[in-house]
Amino acid sequence: MSKSKMSNWSLGLAAAAVALSLSANAFAFDNAALKSAPKVLGVGMNITDAAIKPWDISYFYDGTNLPEGKGTVSAGEKIYNEQCAMCHGDFGEGAHGYPKMVGDPVDEFEASAKAGVDAVSNRGLNNNWGNAPTLMDMIHRHMPFYAPGTLTTDESYSVTCYVMNLASIPGVGSDFVCDKTSLPKIKMPGEPLYVTNSGPDTANQRCMKDCYKGAPFVVEKAASIGDVSVGKVK
Amino acid sequence: MSENMINTVPEGTKKAGEASSDRRKFLRKSVALAAGGAAIAATSAAYAGDGLKTWTTPLQNEPTRHMLGRGVVSVPYGLPSKYESGVVRRNVGWLTADTIASISFTPWQDLHGIITPNGLHFERYHAGAVDVDPSKHHLVVHGMVKQPMIFTVDDLKRLPSHTAIHFLECPANGAMEWRGVQMDSLQFTHGMMSCSEWTGVKLTTLMEMVGVDPKATWFYGEGTDGSALQRSVPMEGAVDQHGRPIPAEYTSHYRDAMVCYAQNGEPLRPENGYPIRLFIPGFEANISTKYLRRLMFVDKPLVTYQETKHYIEVLPNGMIRQFDLVNEANSVINYPCPDFKMNGKGTYEIRGIAWSGYGKIAHVDVSVDGGKNWKQANLVEPVLNKCLTKFTLPFEWDGEEALIMSRATDESGYVQPTLKQLREVRGFNSIYHKNSIQVWKIEKTGEVKNVQIENV
Repeated sequence: MSKSKMSNWSLGLAAAAVALSLSANAFAFDNAALKSAPKVLGVGMNITDAAIKPWDISYFYDGTNLPEGKGTVSAGEKIYNEQCAMCHGDFGEGAHGYPKMVGDPVDEFEASAKAGVDAVSNRGLNNNWGNAPTLMDMIHRHMPFYAPGTLTTDESYSVTCYVMNLASIPGVGSDFVCDKTSLPKIKMPGEPLYVTNSGPDTANQRCMKDCYKGAPFVVEKAASIGDVSVGKVK
Repeated sequence: MSENMINTVPEGTKKAGEASSDRRKFLRKSVALAAGGAAIAATSAAYAGDGLKTWTTPLQNEPTRHMLGRGVVSVPYGLPSKYESGVVRRNVGWLTADTIASISFTPWQDLHGIITPNGLHFERYHAGAVDVDPSKHHLVVHGMVKQPMIFTVDDLKRLPSHTAIHFLECPANGAMEWRGVQMDSLQFTHGMMSCSEWTGVKLTTLMEMVGVDPKATWFYGEGTDGSALQRSVPMEGAVDQHGRPIPAEYTSHYRDAMVCYAQNGEPLRPENGYPIRLFIPGFEANISTKYLRRLMFVDKPLVTYQETKHYIEVLPNGMIRQFDLVNEANSVINYPCPDFKMNGKGTYEIRGIAWSGYGKIAHVDVSVDGGKNWKQANLVEPVLNKCLTKFTLPFEWDGEEALIMSRATDESGYVQPTLKQLREVRGFNSIYHKNSIQVWKIEKTGEVKNVQIENV
């Protein structure tokens, strides 16, 4: 978000924006939503962007707000082996129920989904991840799982680099350097698969009488699943 | 048979009143007379006591009759009866790698209303529950705003408050049932959902205070736990990362959003985001960030790992669907359910809960014959926006097999789908938003089983 977008903003402009939005649909939230909001005085404090900066740690899908610094595949390999491999596998194959880094190649992933074969266990960075900057965001924010947020920026860039290399992301060779310029240029293989939900996708009808012919085909739990009841505790 | 009762006994096959005695006849006449000759007795020939065994042992006093009980504040924060020790949250060990990034389930089989007691609210953590010191905690609101601001928890409590009862549901509720029947308990089929009275500051109050730029189309919240969880929330005009519009069904939910500090009247529990959390009624629970420390107004989504890796649906056409945000109309019968056994034939009351992320529940229909015929259930007040609604319907069980199920319709006209309808569009590999009609099978033995009907 550029600063210029908000620099000249005022309540007067907001009123104009509401009027314009009726025809242009170029505007965001309906200011009518704020009409009923109470006017408040004397509560809270103003804060500077500089004071917020240590918390302003969100890196957008397109690389917006990515930090300074850089990382390499080789540096990432060392950190990964020490801090990540015990959960995500030596080769990114996952371990102890934690996510794998390397899933099926994207064409196989697509084919599995179309064939109705379980796709959850096939998922990895190479099929089920849209954008490289988001990977950096996740690692720097949330990893390692047992000590979240403890990697330096360079370490996080390096681990990002290494796991993309493990997952054979095109363009991420062993000499690739990850930084705020290079990450947004990476084309993640699964990116073209993403679609945005378009609203309700079923259309059941409220039938009340004789809603279908024939008998219901009733399926019970397969015996092989075993007992997963909570126990009759009463 | 009264008009609003649902039964498994064909009309006209009853032998009601056959065993009536002279005394009963007399009483019946008295009732009819007392009601001014109205037709009360005419339709109910049987009495409650007909055919029942008789208790003959003289009644004994219980031990509690001859002792003193506990004094006040012997339990400073009250606890349930020791005889209800089974009414607890439970988890499913094999579902997650550990209990830190995991989920627990509300025991709906043991609850009777629409409010979830705070100690039974389902838990979902991405990095465990933390104890945040409210005296040191702050909320920052910034981004596309006229004036970034910071608030203490006390500041937020000073602001105009908003209170509403809403459900909160993890979109993975029912996830284990996509490919087939798997769980033997209502707790595990529908327990990733709870309903509470939430109190806090409306998001729009904070938006007005900081002066949000009208060009902002999204905002996101961020927590102060180890996951620092963040999710993008669309507002009017929002488009995704490819410039495709977010459906209008999802761009006004933020208006009901609040920053909560209380749940059922008391401070939030640590499990639910103490001291403050974001709450967006009707949306999948993951978006209601716990331990909230930051709100940022922006003009595009983050597409966080929650939005690209986790809370997506791999569709049967191979595409990956993102931003499926609303928990659509859903319902389930919580009495009877697999956690109980029927105790002989005769009268029961079918009871259940229904909810929708699009608004109020309009109708709930109940079937006891596998969905061939339905009757409209009674909705128990209050019927509120994006809130659990209790429904009831008298049920006379004839001791034969029955397939009981409920179907909710919300005020938008959306009708809860069958599992077959859901699988037709989502396939069998989905995880999230399984809101299909739940079928319980009552066996002749009285056992109640979780089943699926595959062909309808």
